[in-house]
Amino acid sequence: MRKTLLIFLFSIIALYSASKPTLTVYTYGSFTAPWGAAAKVKEAFEKEHNATLKFVSASSAIGALRKIQLEGIQTKADILMGLDTATMEMAKKTGLFAPHDLNLSRISLPVSYSDDTFVPYDYSYFAFVYDSDIVKKPPSSFEALAHMPKDFKIIIEDPRSATPGMGLLLWIKTVYGDRASAYWQCLSPHILTITKGWSEAYTLFLKGEADMVLSYTTSPAYHQYMEHRDDIKAALFKEGHYGQIEVAAMLKRTKHPDLAKAFLDFLLSEKFAEIIPTTNWSYPVRTPASGLPKVFETLPRPKQMLLMDPKHVEQYRKEYLREWLRAIGQ
Amino acid sequence: MRQLRSLWVGWLPGVLAALGLLGFAVMLFVVLLRSAGTLSLSSLDPQTLHVVKFTLYQALLSTILSVGLGLLLAWALAHQPRFRGRSLLIALFSSSLVLPTLVVVFGLIGIYGRNGWINQLLFWVSGDDLGSYLYGLFGILLAHVYLNASFASRAFLHAFESIPQEKHKLAKSLGFGVWQRFWIVEWPSLKQTVWSSAATIFLLCFTSFAIVLILGGSPKYNTIEVAIYEAVKLDFDLPMALKLALIQLALTSVLVLLSSSFRSPITNLKKSTAHIIWQESRGIIWLQRGLILLFTLFFVTPLLSIVAEGVDAGLWQIVQRPIFRQALMTSLAVAILSALLTLLLVLVLSAAKRNFDMPTRLGRSPWARLWSLLITLSGNLYLAIPTLVMGLGFFLLALHSALPRTLWAWIAILTANVLMSLPFAMAVIYPQMMKISQRYDKLSFSLGLGRRERFFAVELPYLRGVMAYVFALAFCLSLGDLGIIALFGNESFMTLPWYLYGLMGSYQSRDAAGVALVMLLLSVAVFVWVPKLFGGRDVTHR
Amino acid sequence: MLHIDDLSYVYKREEPPYRYSMQVDAGEIAAVMGSSGSGKSTLLDLIAGFLQPQEGCICLDGKHLEHLPIEKRGVSILFQNHNLFEHLSVAKNIRLGRKEATDKEIADILEEVGLGGYEKRLASELSGGQQQRVALSRVLLRREPILLLDEPFAGLDEQTKSQILDLVREITDRHSLHTVMVTHDPEDAKHIADRRYLMHDHRLTPQ
Repeated sequence: MRKTLLIFLFSIIALYSASKPTLTVYTYGSFTAPWGAAAKVKEAFEKEHNATLKFVSASSAIGALRKIQLEGIQTKADILMGLDTATMEMAKKTGLFAPHDLNLSRISLPVSYSDDTFVPYDYSYFAFVYDSDIVKKPPSSFEALAHMPKDFKIIIEDPRSATPGMGLLLWIKTVYGDRASAYWQCLSPHILTITKGWSEAYTLFLKGEADMVLSYTTSPAYHQYMEHRDDIKAALFKEGHYGQIEVAAMLKRTKHPDLAKAFLDFLLSEKFAEIIPTTNWSYPVRTPASGLPKVFETLPRPKQMLLMDPKHVEQYRKEYLREWLRAIGQ
Repeated sequence: MRQLRSLWVGWLPGVLAALGLLGFAVMLFVVLLRSAGTLSLSSLDPQTLHVVKFTLYQALLSTILSVGLGLLLAWALAHQPRFRGRSLLIALFSSSLVLPTLVVVFGLIGIYGRNGWINQLLFWVSGDDLGSYLYGLFGILLAHVYLNASFASRAFLHAFESIPQEKHKLAKSLGFGVWQRFWIVEWPSLKQTVWSSAATIFLLCFTSFAIVLILGGSPKYNTIEVAIYEAVKLDFDLPMALKLALIQLALTSVLVLLSSSFRSPITNLKKSTAHIIWQESRGIIWLQRGLILLFTLFFVTPLLSIVAEGVDAGLWQIVQRPIFRQALMTSLAVAILSALLTLLLVLVLSAAKRNFDMPTRLGRSPWARLWSLLITLSGNLYLAIPTLVMGLGFFLLALHSALPRTLWAWIAILTANVLMSLPFAMAVIYPQMMKISQRYDKLSFSLGLGRRERFFAVELPYLRGVMAYVFALAFCLSLGDLGIIALFGNESFMTLPWYLYGLMGSYQSRDAAGVALVMLLLSVAVFVWVPKLFGGRDVTHR
Repeated sequence: MLHIDDLSYVYKREEPPYRYSMQVDAGEIAAVMGSSGSGKSTLLDLIAGFLQPQEGCICLDGKHLEHLPIEKRGVSILFQNHNLFEHLSVAKNIRLGRKEATDKEIADILEEVGLGGYEKRLASELSGGQQQRVALSRVLLRREPILLLDEPFAGLDEQTKSQILDLVREITDRHSLHTVMVTHDPEDAKHIADRRYLMHDHRLTPQ
């Protein structure tokens, strides 16, 4: 009896140790949504590598970073996916991430990009999204937005927890400079609520809680592609659009450094570039041979991407945040 | 003297427990102060100052509104002593203590939210609605008033009904008007209850977390507790969190000292039957009935909306989700363990305190007063140490510890729940124990009853009822709390409030409605049935 | 004359109603005796108007009182305790009886009950006997024709009690009051009452 039990135990242990290594990726919620990229990415990656890919989602990318920090030495994360150029320097400062050692010449972005830790995997432009059946005359600039009627409400994300929130902060800073604070004060009455992450904001918007939501120029593609709806549109602003380049990095403490590197390399692959447009609803960092899906060609695309230097952002991040809190708080 | 000597069994565990609790508090201070290190508290940046100011401001407004409304309601109820369903209504209002905060917030959103009943009604009537008005100061005040006014009214009603009947008769025969009656007859009897309730409510609103977290809506409306949470979870800015925690600790200590005459209004939960005989004028009658009706609507509609939405949400599907079952099991385990621990601690602490307070026992020994005071202090630690501050302390310990995080989560959540329930438990158990002693000590000592006989034959029959009540109370408080779990919760350690918060945060309102309904039913069922099932026959002193 | 004729009140539905008949002339004291719970205090509540009788009448010099509101019945009451508002001064307590009363009137009345110069004291500072005297002085100020006493001497020591009983006698005589006194002590009744009634078996009978 005891013998069989021992054999049983050993076989479990043997099975366990022989099983494939698991690579754990922390990311934001919409990436792992039923319509999100996670399932297809997992399938494609696992086909190429003898490994299990596991996605763990937080409410936002910054939330995922905080989760890693909160878990301290006990974290299971190997990869953090979903930060952007505005937040990656902040993440670097934690000293948790390792260099990728990859050649980034394969990618083509609207702006130049080089970083030894974070690997870009997609990009888009921030924009306010509205339902053209409800909002007949959307604002065409920040000025127009601030002067909308009093009951015109927008939902934005918290710059402390969500990259789109930070994006808007920097967008307004780029456009208004020293007058950014004054602009936020004008915008403040139009803000219905400030959510912790993009998913919450977008869900609220789709429920009809607000007139516009801070999202991306590429968001309407989802509704055209998945639901054949043409009424959801992104408002193009005269002042130009701030960009978001999403990035990923591996943790220093990962138990599978080679696998983690392989995953980062996979993010730059053509296969990944094929998956990302119609799952994460953004532009891939390289154009796949088959080209972009049709809906992306009809999307209005800003001529130029506004983007602050990551180091500059990190230097002034706290100051900008304080300024923002003060502007909307008082 | 044989009995007296054997009393050490009655005081030693209590003293040890009290020392343990106080030691825990000291350790928490040391952990926080040590981590603070070179932190300078002298320079308060404007943002922190704003948070501190807002915390005080909303607590003050909430207190004034809750006490004012509670007083009006109690006044109306006191002078409408006879109508159908009155005692049920009063029981309902006093149950607000055990309603899970998050569930109440969910109910309030169902009524006052952008798509809530009020907006729907207005839209149906006039084709236009109020838009979004709940999030912000209004929402915070609304939820605070909902929870506190109803409970305060119970204590005030008791004070109204404790006024000797002769006073009202005298006032009537002297031809007093309603104002004169209030100022000369009623206010003097209410004053003390009003002040002590106000002090409690202020403290509760000052350290309010879940309500502000959800209904605050933006950083404009942060309390210190929420700011601590955000500093940890959003910014991982531990120095900032520590700074806020120390400010919070300093302020609550000052507040607790200022309200040192503080007496928990919960002691007044006994039913009183002294009805006031006073034929009111017609206008006043309508005013009183109107007040009762309006407040009942205010109180009942959010609960109805939870039931309506929960039933509508397809409860069966939600209940079958593995994640729901996991949260339910964890919550039940947490609540039962917390309630049992609370019961154990409160019995030991009260028994020890009684031994030091009773002249027939150890009341005359030289250190008795000091020990008694220490025990009281240890039972009321929760008032001075806000949940999130305690959570931060545990969090810092866990951060550098090799013990599994889940174990820390269990320790932290059980400690927090027990400390939260203890002040209420002490206020209920201790007076009852004293009463038993005052009445039977001389008799049972003279009969030479042993410890065990004394407990089972004399004490238990009188304690069963309050013990069951304390268990139910601690169970409900622990089941519904969203505090420490906000710092320690993750996908592998999930309680019902944390699950509900996640669902609400991601606006999955159907699932949230289902979970809210389950929590509501569970709390009400335990609060109503446990005292009935285990409380035994009602053995009351006359 | 205060005339109470076949007044009935149902206290508990399963029990027979209380029935009261009695009369008191101006300047007279009627004592109502009986064991506790026999219904003697209910009589005072009926006269004062705190309770409404099912039938019967309460007449003062031929005028029906039973449908008048409490404050119009011309009644002053003295309970065993709680006759004063402890947080108010003696003068303020007395003035509650009649707002227009002058300081002089209050001083005179206090003199009459043997508490001259006590105006500024807080009611809570007085002894039981003194409190009852203040309450009696308010009765005097009100000048209402009916005085109801609900065991007002039960908590006092013998000496104080007899002093206050004498004071009640004196006041009743001087101001021609119709005084109804509920007491469980036959000695009190013997001491000052002109008429004596006993509450027994739900019925009030003259002795």
